[in-house]
Amino acid sequence: MAGAIIENMSTKKLVIVGVVLLLFQAFAFMVGGLIAPSPTTAVHYLATKCVDNQKGHHQGRKWFMPWGPNQCDKIRDFDEAMAKRIEANNIVFSVHIPLPNKEMSPWFQFMLVILQFDIAFKMYNQIKDGAMVTIDVSLAYRDDTVSEWTEMAHSVEQRKLNCNLTTAKIVENEGRYYECDLLPFMEVGTVSHKYYLVNIRLPVYERKKVNVGIGEIKDIRLVGIHQNGGFTKVWFAMKTFLTPSILIIMIWYWRRITMMSRPPVLLEKVIFALGISMTFINIPVEWFSIGFDWTWMLLFGDIRQGIFYAMLLSFWIIFCGEHLMDQAERNRFSMYWKQVGPIVFGSFCLFIFDMCERGVQLTNPFYSIWASDVGTELAMAFIIVAGICACLYFLFLCFMVFQVFRNISGKRSSLPAMTKARRLHYEGLIFRFKFLMLVTLACAAMTVIFFIISQVNEGHWHWGDYTVQINSAFFTGIYGMWNLYVFALMFLYAPSHKRYGDEQSSGDQGGNSGEDIQLTTTITHADGPTEVYRMMGKESQE
Amino acid sequence: MSSGCLLRSLLMLFLALLSANASNWLYLAKLSSVGSISDEETCEKLRGLIQRQVQICKRNVEVMDAVRRGAQLAIDECQYQFRNRRWNCSTLDSMPVFGKVVTQGTREAAFVYAISAASVAYAVTRACSSGELEKCGCDRNVHGVSPQGFQWSGCSDNIAYGVAFSQSFVDVRERSKGQSSNRALMNLHNNEAGRKAILNHMRVDCKCHGVSGSCEVKTCWKAMPPFRKVGNIIKEKFDGATEVEQRKVGTTRALVPRNSQFKPHTDEDLVYLDPSPDFCEHDPRTPGMLGTVGRYCNKTSKAIDGCELMCCGRGFHTQEVEVVDRCSCKFHWCCYVKCKQCRKMVEMHTCR
Repeated sequence: MAGAIIENMSTKKLVIVGVVLLLFQAFAFMVGGLIAPSPTTAVHYLATKCVDNQKGHHQGRKWFMPWGPNQCDKIRDFDEAMAKRIEANNIVFSVHIPLPNKEMSPWFQFMLVILQFDIAFKMYNQIKDGAMVTIDVSLAYRDDTVSEWTEMAHSVEQRKLNCNLTTAKIVENEGRYYECDLLPFMEVGTVSHKYYLVNIRLPVYERKKVNVGIGEIKDIRLVGIHQNGGFTKVWFAMKTFLTPSILIIMIWYWRRITMMSRPPVLLEKVIFALGISMTFINIPVEWFSIGFDWTWMLLFGDIRQGIFYAMLLSFWIIFCGEHLMDQAERNRFSMYWKQVGPIVFGSFCLFIFDMCERGVQLTNPFYSIWASDVGTELAMAFIIVAGICACLYFLFLCFMVFQVFRNISGKRSSLPAMTKARRLHYEGLIFRFKFLMLVTLACAAMTVIFFIISQVNEGHWHWGDYTVQINSAFFTGIYGMWNLYVFALMFLYAPSHKRYGDEQSSGDQGGNSGEDIQLTTTITHADGPTEVYRMMGKESQE
Repeated sequence: MSSGCLLRSLLMLFLALLSANASNWLYLAKLSSVGSISDEETCEKLRGLIQRQVQICKRNVEVMDAVRRGAQLAIDECQYQFRNRRWNCSTLDSMPVFGKVVTQGTREAAFVYAISAASVAYAVTRACSSGELEKCGCDRNVHGVSPQGFQWSGCSDNIAYGVAFSQSFVDVRERSKGQSSNRALMNLHNNEAGRKAILNHMRVDCKCHGVSGSCEVKTCWKAMPPFRKVGNIIKEKFDGATEVEQRKVGTTRALVPRNSQFKPHTDEDLVYLDPSPDFCEHDPRTPGMLGTVGRYCNKTSKAIDGCELMCCGRGFHTQEVEVVDRCSCKFHWCCYVKCKQCRKMVEMHTCR
């Protein structure tokens, strides 16, 4: 990969390209910050307590509506139930998603629901240690306000109650609520219906110790989280715009490579692969989720992102390796198995984990790997292994970067003694490496800084009359940034096709040291020396 | 309507006029006979509301059930927080609900106003979340975030609607009398302090849902504290309430601490104008002033629930009483308790 465009470009042109990219970057941030609303919305739902008056088994499932026409027999609180002699097994907690006069929309992309119990402390009815709550839950949908509900899923799930009382357990504190951890409840990959209905029962079977020792439940609260329609629209627009941009530069890049007389080197292939994985993320297949009920979209999105991350990490390693400037012959993917191995293995672990969580949720939206002890351990194992792989990777990467810098400083000292062509070759290598290093560090730093800001901050800043949505700006900005990164990479590191002059390789012939092995692998395969080479060649002839 | 009933109503009306300052709308909690407040005509019949409140009631009929629940919540919480004090927040069947105790600008009045303003905000917010109200969040655009509505950017939190409704419904009584009077200023401040007790103690919860559940994407939301916690906060503010008087600050009138060496109160603090009576003796001329005769007290405590202070030095009776207590109970999470009865002898002390 000798003679990339970046080396041939004059400083002026490079600055122009940089400024244009920066403008696009600023634009990406502004699109998110000013046009898009915040990425997600959380809606509170308080479950209505309905009474199931039907005796025995009945045909089909009965659905309990919390409000509107055909609403169920409600009770205000459980003292009322006590007075009316209603049993726990006849109480149905009902939640309609969304709230009255609103509709869900496919633009919401996904819907995940959190479960929270309000449990009052009672001296004689405390939550037992390690109490599990068993919920019998069903989900239904309909698309207009009058038709029958259609069942979507039904399941009996267990969740671990992780509650503690912040004050002393004495009679005076009766009636205070426990502070309970949030429980994962449901995750749906598409929102293709307008109305959803959740019915929850907490059946009690004393003999099987089901739902015994879970304290005095006062209320069930749900929090529904979905992506904002406005954000989805802005996001889709961005993807639709970015796809052709990356695709065009990719085709242009590959054409340049095939135009050369030599087969492409490893680094060129890796950059192309990076372009492919970026396009894979970019292609707005999510448009289909507006029309089709594809619940696997969420999982698919995860896989696409995972592939891109793995590709990016591999690229960095290979880029460093190809710029090591030692005498080893690389240029083969198998040379990097030690460094790329952890990435592949780590991504594989995360993939398995994701399949276990979101994969199973395709069939049972109430499933959560964190709900059971075995599942939690398994999930933790996957995540820890992935974490170890990540650490291993970064150790390799840091070591390689260190090696490159050591070699660079070694080469620096011996540069003046080299023949011109070889010196120029090394200077080109050093420049290419340092440039990418700088840009990559800048991008990574931006990502980290914005990530921290979006985590710490409230989500929006008021700036005069404008409200800047920091979180949305983070998403669109960072997404745009990595797109520009890949774009710039393919543009600047594409082989230059400025032709050899007649005065070809005046310096090359002198090369007979061991160092030249590497030099020849790159230079002689190259289509042509860079502009700088040619100029220098001319000068030397003169 | 029988003549006796009419007479009683007239008497109530007279009483209401006499003590127009009291938070009479709390009487809604007592109106269990009305059933649900479902149409505009019921608004006219509700006692305890002033004309402006009736108008709000007519415009927001669906909210009124929540308001009534809020009133009940306020009374319950007040009674819980004051169960060990000489004035134990006992209600009367007449109006004003707490008798004349809260018509003066005392600490107790400050507490009652704060807890009732908070309880309306709380109850309305809860009603929003359970889908009983149709107007929450999106329609009253409190933060100005969502010009394009639910589909584009979701809605603002229900708590904003609850607080806004509490402001319009509870405060209207003071606002209608103009800002100048001492009591109006005090009540408005305490109402706001009550609502702040909810707003400033919202619990923030977050959920990560990025790739593989990572925190790349995180959604946070604010959840209301349990009302018992709100009651505790307001009770703390009651204990540290500031005595104030009205002074002219610049062009406006404002409440400033009577003792100028005290720190000025914040938005969250309760303020009062008049010192409280000692609540020791029954006073037939002051409804609600029941005295502490016959109240249970704690012999070993040195605090206000101790017999010394509770009985105002009048001494106490001691009785050996057999108490039937529930023991070795089996519970379900709802509606089922099976217990053995345990009897034990307990010494009970009552004030003379």
